[in-house]
Amino acid sequence: MATYDNKAWLLKSVRDAFIATDDTGLCDIVMAGEDFSKIFQNKAIEEKRRERDKVLYQPSTSKGKESGTDEEDDRELVTQFDPYPDMDDSEEDEPCPSYPRMPDEFLPVHRQKLTIDKKEQDLKKAARIKVIKWEDPQSQLTPEQMAEVFAKIDIKKPETKKSLLSEQLENCPDLPHRQYLDYAKFDGTAQLGLPTKSFKIFMTMLPEKYQNYPVVICVIASAKIKDLIGFTCYKYSIEHPDIALGSVQNYGLFIVEDDGEVDLAFPCLDRNEPCSKFGFTCLGLVDLKKRDTAVMACPIPDFDMHSAFQCFPKVSVSGQSNANTSRLHTGDSDTTEVLRAMNSVIDGNKGFGFQSGAVADASQDKLYRVQLLHKVRANTPVQLGITLDTIEVVPLVPNKHAFWARPKYFLHSMNSVAWCQILEEKSNKTTFRIVYSPNHDATFSDRNTGNVNVYSPNTTYKKHDFEGEHEIAKTIVDNVNTILDLRNSPCRREYKTVKEKKLQTRRSFHTRHLS
Amino acid sequence: MAGDGTGGSGSQVALVTGGYDHTIKLWQAHSGVCLRTMQHPDSQVNDLEINPNSQMVAACGYQHIRMYDLASANPDPVMNFEGVIKNVSRVGFQENGQWMYTGGEDCTARIWDLRAGRPFQCQQIFQVPAPVNAVVLHPDQSQIMVGGQSGIIHIWDLKTDHNEQLIPEAESSIQDIAIDPEGKMMAAVNNKGNCYVWSLGGSPPRPVPRKHLRAHDKYALRCKFSPDSTMLVTTSGDCSARVWRTSDWTLMRELRHETQRWVWDAAFTLDSRYLFTGSSDSYARLWDLEKGTLEREYCGHQKPITALAFRDQAV
Repeated sequence: MATYDNKAWLLKSVRDAFIATDDTGLCDIVMAGEDFSKIFQNKAIEEKRRERDKVLYQPSTSKGKESGTDEEDDRELVTQFDPYPDMDDSEEDEPCPSYPRMPDEFLPVHRQKLTIDKKEQDLKKAARIKVIKWEDPQSQLTPEQMAEVFAKIDIKKPETKKSLLSEQLENCPDLPHRQYLDYAKFDGTAQLGLPTKSFKIFMTMLPEKYQNYPVVICVIASAKIKDLIGFTCYKYSIEHPDIALGSVQNYGLFIVEDDGEVDLAFPCLDRNEPCSKFGFTCLGLVDLKKRDTAVMACPIPDFDMHSAFQCFPKVSVSGQSNANTSRLHTGDSDTTEVLRAMNSVIDGNKGFGFQSGAVADASQDKLYRVQLLHKVRANTPVQLGITLDTIEVVPLVPNKHAFWARPKYFLHSMNSVAWCQILEEKSNKTTFRIVYSPNHDATFSDRNTGNVNVYSPNTTYKKHDFEGEHEIAKTIVDNVNTILDLRNSPCRREYKTVKEKKLQTRRSFHTRHLS
Repeated sequence: MAGDGTGGSGSQVALVTGGYDHTIKLWQAHSGVCLRTMQHPDSQVNDLEINPNSQMVAACGYQHIRMYDLASANPDPVMNFEGVIKNVSRVGFQENGQWMYTGGEDCTARIWDLRAGRPFQCQQIFQVPAPVNAVVLHPDQSQIMVGGQSGIIHIWDLKTDHNEQLIPEAESSIQDIAIDPEGKMMAAVNNKGNCYVWSLGGSPPRPVPRKHLRAHDKYALRCKFSPDSTMLVTTSGDCSARVWRTSDWTLMRELRHETQRWVWDAAFTLDSRYLFTGSSDSYARLWDLEKGTLEREYCGHQKPITALAFRDQAV
């Protein structure tokens, strides 16, 4: 028992273990002079002295209560600092006693675990490595021994030999993967210690028979999308030297479904962004040239490019602060927001087709008056502005006097909005919720400080709850959802996945318990 | 791919590179594909040498000489030689693999006993006055040349433990020493870019100065003789490797590439037709010496390649 429930011993052994196993010597420095086993021992002695004094002056107080015994007269005084606070219990209970006054920072559990895990791994690794220490020569070798190990040999004149490598080189004159060689350095499987990221990539630009299975590609996390494309070509051409691939410049990576179907609603991933930025693992390599011609062949239905520009002749810039033009919009007028959205559609996202009147309607800039709900405070009237790109929450009654109650202004990029739904239809009002993720929009997030954290621990989702007239609420939710579906942003997809997972676990939980 | 033996023991052709990124890579030499990456913790790789039976590669770095199994997929070393307090700059093997020699910044050259079930230990230590940059074993297996910061080349006779000294140039440091496979020539390069060649052919085999080459304008790093002794390659901080004819000491090839930086190491193929080089631009390259063309590039290291080892197979 003594090996387990002696506090002082445990403390000492943990301390010693830390100091002994820490190669950096940091533990030694941190723990210098803090030998808790000794401190506790001293405290125990002090406390005993104090308790004895107390007993002398206040004979009615039962000091023994603390240690869980009533036989105070028969027993020696026991304090919380004693290694064996309660002999009787410790015999039966679990071998690890708790330390009532152990300072938390002394040994955080996670660190303890980490250290042990790492130590274990290192030990396992070390066990497989044979260590040979240098030993200085014990004694002078005899001339015989010298002659045995350091014998002079006759040098044979090396004959001219044919090299196997030369032969191999002749047998494979040119290698298709050589054009992608520069990307070989992004190989994630060849790294030890660097963070990596794996993708399943469908070669959608190849004939159909090669598309059935994705190539699993592991790159270093800092690789950009173009590097990922290049490395995919490199890897693929090594494994399939017979299949000719084109230039890396001609390829783009698109988000695909698990079965390899390309999601054309979303533009290809930005070539210059690091691949670690994207949450998807299923991607499709697409020949941009072929794709572009396909897009050209079917013009965007509802908007003619010229008229799209003509119908927004004026870019509204007023004399107000120009930090945020989206604040200057009025009513239903056509604005820069839509123009910008249109431009981005025309410039970059060529496959982004508007197809229905609903979308066109949703793309109109709209302002609504609703109430922003707060958890504790009273609701505040706000103006909710919805454009193709943003959701804007403008407080209508700025309360300049009470800083703690001052309503906040929010501007969320549509890419950071994950969800919108009606919560409850009351007799005269409808409440609805907009869920967004500050992580997904760096440019907007700095302006926003939000509400409570609702969902996944990896991505933070925050929410705004609003209340408005039935009709208005319904229109807003419909509009936002149309735009969200149209954009199908990473944020929204991730949120959906998280939601589905939650639902599934809940379902499986129920079925398990029902059966 | 690592398990198919194309670069391991199945075929005896093995190209190994190592450098500042603390990794050692095994390559399929003819395709340029990296087969495996091994970990060389806490240190750059100063030198690499494949052991005589081609099963292992020895890598030396700060305070360690580590041996890696070329045939398995193990990314960790299988043996770790310890007890040197500073950088180990060179490593090599006796031709039967009985012992290994090293030299390092602790101003020593050492013989490590590798024999199993040894009746006596044969490790030896040879102290010199300055950090050791270069160690090479004479092909007759009985002498070791040790060169270093002081610019002195010590010829250490292992059997008698006697040594002789050569000082080719004052106030320079010896960067590398090479002896041709026939044991007839010795070359040394220094930090000034100069290369000195001696004849070793006489009896007793005493070095006789034979040639002084202004090999490079800058720091020279390595020198090596081709297996057929007709060529000497010198590599340098001037971003080139130069191949010299040993018949008349004329320049045969200058191997440059627009992105190539310091060339740290080089190795010939068995037929002396191709040459591997390893450079600070993190690429290793294979050159056709007859045509002077770049045949292959080996890309995968994240940082400069400072050492390479190549083992060819005769057909």
